[in-house]
Amino acid sequence: MFKDPDTDDYLPYHTYKRKKATAAANGGGDAAKPEDDDEFEYVEDRDSSEGAIYPIQRGRIVNMAAFLAFLDHVHQLLTTSYHNTPIVLMASPQWTRGDNEIIARFIFEKTKTPALCLMHSAFAAQYGLKWLNMTVVDIGYEKMDVSCVWDSNLVAHRSLDYFTPGLEAGGNVLTKKLHGLLKDKGFTLDMCEQLKKSPLAEVLPYVATAKNCMELPDEDVAAEPLAHSVVEAPKINESTIAAPSTAGDVENGVDDKVADEGVLDVANIVTSGNTREFLAKKEKEKAERAKAKHRKAQEAEAAANRPARLPNAKRKTNTFYYEETVHEDVQVPLSNGAPKVESMAPPATNGDAAATAVAEPTPKVEGDAAAAPAPPAPTGETATDVLPFAPEATSSVTERRTKRIRKDIEVGLERFLFVDREYIDQVARLIYNTIQSIPELSKRPDCWNNIVFVGNGSRLRGLKENVLQTLISRYLISPSTATMFTSELPSNMATPTGTGSQTPTGSTSGSLPLGQLPLPTTSSVNPLLQAATTASLGVPGTTTADAHASHQSHAQTPTSIKLAQLPNYLQDWSKAGYEEAHFLGALVAGRLVYCVHPGNDMVDAQRLSSLSRVDYK
Amino acid sequence: MAQPLTTASVPTDIYGGDEVSALVLDAGYCQTRAGFAGEDVPKSVLPSFYGAIKDTSAASGSRNVFGEDFIYARPDFEVKNYMSRTESVVEDWDTAVQVWESMLLERLQPERRQTQPSKNGLNDGADGEGDVSMEDAATSAENAENAEKPLAESPLLMTEAPWNQGKAREKAIEIAMENWGCPAFWLSRTPVCAAFAAGKASALVVDVGGANTSVTAVHDGMILKRSIQKSHVGGLWLSSQIRSMFDSSDPKIEPSHPPQTQLRPPSSYRAYEDERLLTEYKESVVEVWRGPGRYSNPGNEDLVKTQPGRIFEMPDGSNQMWREQRFRVSEGMWDETAQLPTASEEERITKAQTVPELIRACLNAVDVDLRPNLLGNIVVTGGTSLLNGFNDRLNNELMGMYPGMRVKLHAAGLTTERRFGSWIGGSILASLGTFHQMWISKRSTTRMVPALSRNAASKGFLKSWRLRIDGAWTPKKKSR
Repeated sequence: MFKDPDTDDYLPYHTYKRKKATAAANGGGDAAKPEDDDEFEYVEDRDSSEGAIYPIQRGRIVNMAAFLAFLDHVHQLLTTSYHNTPIVLMASPQWTRGDNEIIARFIFEKTKTPALCLMHSAFAAQYGLKWLNMTVVDIGYEKMDVSCVWDSNLVAHRSLDYFTPGLEAGGNVLTKKLHGLLKDKGFTLDMCEQLKKSPLAEVLPYVATAKNCMELPDEDVAAEPLAHSVVEAPKINESTIAAPSTAGDVENGVDDKVADEGVLDVANIVTSGNTREFLAKKEKEKAERAKAKHRKAQEAEAAANRPARLPNAKRKTNTFYYEETVHEDVQVPLSNGAPKVESMAPPATNGDAAATAVAEPTPKVEGDAAAAPAPPAPTGETATDVLPFAPEATSSVTERRTKRIRKDIEVGLERFLFVDREYIDQVARLIYNTIQSIPELSKRPDCWNNIVFVGNGSRLRGLKENVLQTLISRYLISPSTATMFTSELPSNMATPTGTGSQTPTGSTSGSLPLGQLPLPTTSSVNPLLQAATTASLGVPGTTTADAHASHQSHAQTPTSIKLAQLPNYLQDWSKAGYEEAHFLGALVAGRLVYCVHPGNDMVDAQRLSSLSRVDYK
Repeated sequence: MAQPLTTASVPTDIYGGDEVSALVLDAGYCQTRAGFAGEDVPKSVLPSFYGAIKDTSAASGSRNVFGEDFIYARPDFEVKNYMSRTESVVEDWDTAVQVWESMLLERLQPERRQTQPSKNGLNDGADGEGDVSMEDAATSAENAENAEKPLAESPLLMTEAPWNQGKAREKAIEIAMENWGCPAFWLSRTPVCAAFAAGKASALVVDVGGANTSVTAVHDGMILKRSIQKSHVGGLWLSSQIRSMFDSSDPKIEPSHPPQTQLRPPSSYRAYEDERLLTEYKESVVEVWRGPGRYSNPGNEDLVKTQPGRIFEMPDGSNQMWREQRFRVSEGMWDETAQLPTASEEERITKAQTVPELIRACLNAVDVDLRPNLLGNIVVTGGTSLLNGFNDRLNNELMGMYPGMRVKLHAAGLTTERRFGSWIGGSILASLGTFHQMWISKRSTTRMVPALSRNAASKGFLKSWRLRIDGAWTPKKKSR
């Protein structure tokens, strides 16, 4: 949100005042006139974040007025017809009760919505991932919170505290850390952000014995200069695909030439009479040769690329492409009626392809320049302009041009080091403390067995795995050898009293409902043994089985730590990752609450799941 | 599958209690709990322990951090507590205010600074239904006076230990009214709240907490002052017994790792961290001998030795099977001769400090006619009462002590209800529509404070009817 300089309202985009082009063009005479409002125009710059107000910081709403204005703006964008739709609003756990009240009031009074459902984000994630019991670890931009949901009830929640700086987790925190490491090498925050998002930056697997619990690659495999041996960001894949293919074409062309150059004794062939036969044979030879040549070329290429095939984690340095958008004001000569967009600089071929700036023509998408993939331009430097909001010019005009510049930059081990032990420890500790703070011991194992990471801050490669490994190595209670093979009874069986009442009651019988007595009635296998033998296997399907009939051999937890299985019936989501599962869940919940018409027995439940306008009044 | 709805978790709209968001604050030695009235669990639970970081620039020489997340080893760090270990009342008022403010104002944020009605967008456009705020001139003048006070909209209910002193009560009122500008305030005794949480106006409340165990008779919502009994047999005492057991075991068990870093954490930090582990040990291993009779009676220990034990894994990965030891550590609560040797003399308990004796002393101090009723309504609350077998043993002991009397224990099934019993009672109390008439209002305090601290508040809230001098505070209707 942006503050309007003139009024106290908030605007969705950075808007600034500038002299109208016409006025400027008309020259000095007009400019002398004061108080002419028509001279100025307001320009929305959708890319700029200058002077932005961020209503939510670290999950908390810090500027309610701005937040409400933002809600209003989003609502306007989404409302296209006069049809009034109910609203599901996902509430962050950090929002206080007062916040929720104000938001509810605002929504009901400002919009015409018939019903509002304010939804805790952990439940939203639960709707998205369908598990009844789970621990939702939500790592966001600058916040992190852990919520334990048991049987669709929130049983424990903690978040990294808002109030003390220094204790924070999230995507931006990592960017800042990366920046701290790479500042000396001239990296900007924006570059670090892109580097973090690229597959180059990753969290190395947890190695308990190594220093700082990570094993850094030490041999300098990438020392030889390799221009194209780059693990590239998916966005620019097209260009690399294009490059080898053209190279291949060239080679084929050469092959053809070589083949043609073989001097044929035409007369001999003609005289021999079997011209057709000979030609066929020749053709075949040529094809074989070409094939062989091609294979050779391929092999060579593969050989050249071999070091590059090393996974990123094994390479000491790696190169990443940094793409930046540059705005500049350029004087454009008068062009009457001609199309506004024109190629300024002709493609200047640049032989040195390794380390020069590569610019891509930006598609002519108004405003949102990043929307469509750019056509590849493998070499050379081009600049094409976008005039998102240029006025109808009649004469020489200042245009705002947007260029994309691509650089490739070599980064060293910093790309692994920026996620330090401290950070991982903090995340792991928060998860541990939260789950262990569930008051009922019997609920803890279920929460340990279904850990889910959501939020885009957890998107970083390897982060989830490392946190899980850290949790396992640090907190997992291994089944004791003392009783694993000897005792028949699970150790949490209550001691039969001397009075002869031999009915065993669970250790937590007070708080356990009847169907959940922790006795392993179904199997005679010692649950400890079962736990010891199956925990490491990760047998598919065990998570579902464990959800309720889990062993409660140890009162002490955790005896196993697992990530929850993610659903695989939504292909696009599986591909893109479930980091935004809470949004998916909110969609699902919205449909369940407002669109599906259930049987009579569910009507009440459906009605109670949101606040309707009638109830509001 | 689902837990039945308890008295505390009935939806708030039935009370009509959500008209105002009253706050409830319950401070104990181990935890401080705060939340909104009408809810079933406190929103914010912080350890009463806090970290003091040496900071020469600060006036007091140190900077305080609150909350579990901040209590980690760092240089020049000390873990302290603002409550008194022996009394469970506030000891360090300056820090208490800081802790409470951090909980009530920052974490709960009951009222954020509202934007002006003209600017919050609610009244824009022709269809804006936001009506004009209903405050009349008088209240808006009062509001202006309270404008800078952080809690000017939220009534506050605080709990206090039954043996709380008048001075402390005065101080609490002063903080709430003067510092925070609460429009209404009430101090309620923890046993009364715990009894209310169990749905009773008359009960014998056995509160086995972290630092203390207290037994109090509550009659018609008033505590009987002579009946108050307390001793330090609580969770921390039990921890010291476990420590003593670890020390004497072979090989000696160190509850927490010796520090591996260069940083030498102070002993207070070490003790705090040990306590975490001991809590886990208490949760999963320690058990109370259920009776009948004492654990030390011949034959019992042999019986236990034949039973499967429980395993506990220490943070260093070593694990051990516990059989008879887990009964022995808790036996001191019932039988002073069975307690393990303690490091310091003040940790030792006498016969009068065991749980059965506390109850006996409490009952002896009340009228004979009341005793049967109290014995039939015993409310067990407090986190340490969650020990496995505690209620069975208590029942057995009482049956032995009062043969022929009807003894009935009421202990909440939900762990949270037991741990936050007095907070929940306070939450129920503060959300009752009728209770709003009894709040001490801002205007009446100015005259009342001296009288109040002498006797009024100590006589339970029924008496406070007479104290409503000029109109109780009534909730303002919120402008919609």
